[in-house]
Amino acid sequence: MSSETLFRRITDYAHRADPYPLYAELREHGVARQEDGKYLVGTYNEITALLHDPRISSDVRNRTEPDPDLQPVEGLPPAFIGRDDPEHDRLRRLAMRPFGPPHSPGRIDTLLDDIARIAGQLADGLRDKERIDLVEDFAFPLPVTVICDLLGVPAEDIPQVHTWADTVVSGLDFAPGEDPGPRRRAAHEARMAMGLYLGGLAEKRRGRPTDDMLSALANDEGPDGRLTQEELMVTAVLLLIAGHETTVNLITNGMLTLLRNPEALERLRKEPELMPRAVEELLRYEPPVQFLPQRTPLADVEVGGVTIPKGVPLVLVLASGNRDPLRFADPDRFDPARRDNVHFGFGSGVHSCFGAPLARLETQIALTTLINCLDGPRLLEDPPVYRNSPVLRGPRHLPIGQTGR
Amino acid sequence: MQIVVDLNRCQGYAQCVFLAPQVFELHGEEALLYVPTVPEGQDERVLRAAAACPVQAITVGEQAGEGAGVR
Repeated sequence: MSSETLFRRITDYAHRADPYPLYAELREHGVARQEDGKYLVGTYNEITALLHDPRISSDVRNRTEPDPDLQPVEGLPPAFIGRDDPEHDRLRRLAMRPFGPPHSPGRIDTLLDDIARIAGQLADGLRDKERIDLVEDFAFPLPVTVICDLLGVPAEDIPQVHTWADTVVSGLDFAPGEDPGPRRRAAHEARMAMGLYLGGLAEKRRGRPTDDMLSALANDEGPDGRLTQEELMVTAVLLLIAGHETTVNLITNGMLTLLRNPEALERLRKEPELMPRAVEELLRYEPPVQFLPQRTPLADVEVGGVTIPKGVPLVLVLASGNRDPLRFADPDRFDPARRDNVHFGFGSGVHSCFGAPLARLETQIALTTLINCLDGPRLLEDPPVYRNSPVLRGPRHLPIGQTGR
Repeated sequence: MQIVVDLNRCQGYAQCVFLAPQVFELHGEEALLYVPTVPEGQDERVLRAAAACPVQAITVGEQAGEGAGVR
């Protein structure tokens, strides 16, 4: 089939359970121009070069033809994920102050016990169940409870926040043939509502600091000053959605992969100290963000012998780079002890995932807890039903049975 | 447990600092400082930090140097 239709085929829901053969086809073609003018890149070295190239913008306002799916909300500035340096750097550093080094190096470490406690409570709830939905019963509530707690969102508001987050993410879906107008408008409204809500929470804390990140973002003044109210709103929305929609998939894909590879699961049961490396391998093998759809060259850029013109949509298929046989030996094999595993699970370069350390810790603790608590777990559906999004790819539900129950 | 960081490779992603803040420290925005002999009780955190390094610059062993057992 023509390489010009690869993007259409990758985003087609029919390929959600196993897009990897399409990624192999993409790598065969190097840089693949699509029928609608998009450029797809799926080879490791080329993706690395582009992720570290300052001529590649993350700001979709640099597109020659505006992409209606990626428009910022009217009246709000884009969050740092959609900005370029130096603004990206300023906003990210301000958001980092209450989250990690150099200003708050111990923040994530102090969450360790909380994460283990929440994971333990959720796991206790699974013990006597014959049939578990890993997504609803474990993989979703764990990271959502942690991120809401970290930001300072009260527990009683989590269902509302979840509804907004789902609406925003479904706005990123690609559904050929459907009128995307209503979906897009709903996503913009949800983003705005979420921003106003989080901005309001921060406002309440101004002058009355509490222990959470919203309070720090509202009150702390560093060398870069402070976020404006609008910047605070979009930053908080970004952190909440990212902390909400990606770790769920990493944990779920993790359990799915371990149940498909029983010898790996058994090995981790015997050698729990291997878990950090197993999670890195998961990030390579089944990354929660499959591709980056919002890059744009600021000039004509040559890569892999092809000139990608200024202003066109550039899609970096991270999940394909992660399976590039020129970089990884036996790339389609899940090897929990893999060495030299420099994967794109969190991207690379200045935009590399802000929440990576939290996602790592949550997933390591989640999988260790599950391995210890589940009794003879087995997949009840394989492949499971997937969520719609080809970007934030993961099962909608993951039914698991336990023996002897 | 001993650690060695290849500081030529280190790019200041600081993943190790998040995961083992008593062993790794950022000096300013990017320069990394670390304790080569891992303090007691920090082994698990150091293994997490080493696995997380996006440029795989951290080597962990029972003993650093030639012939060290690498984990």
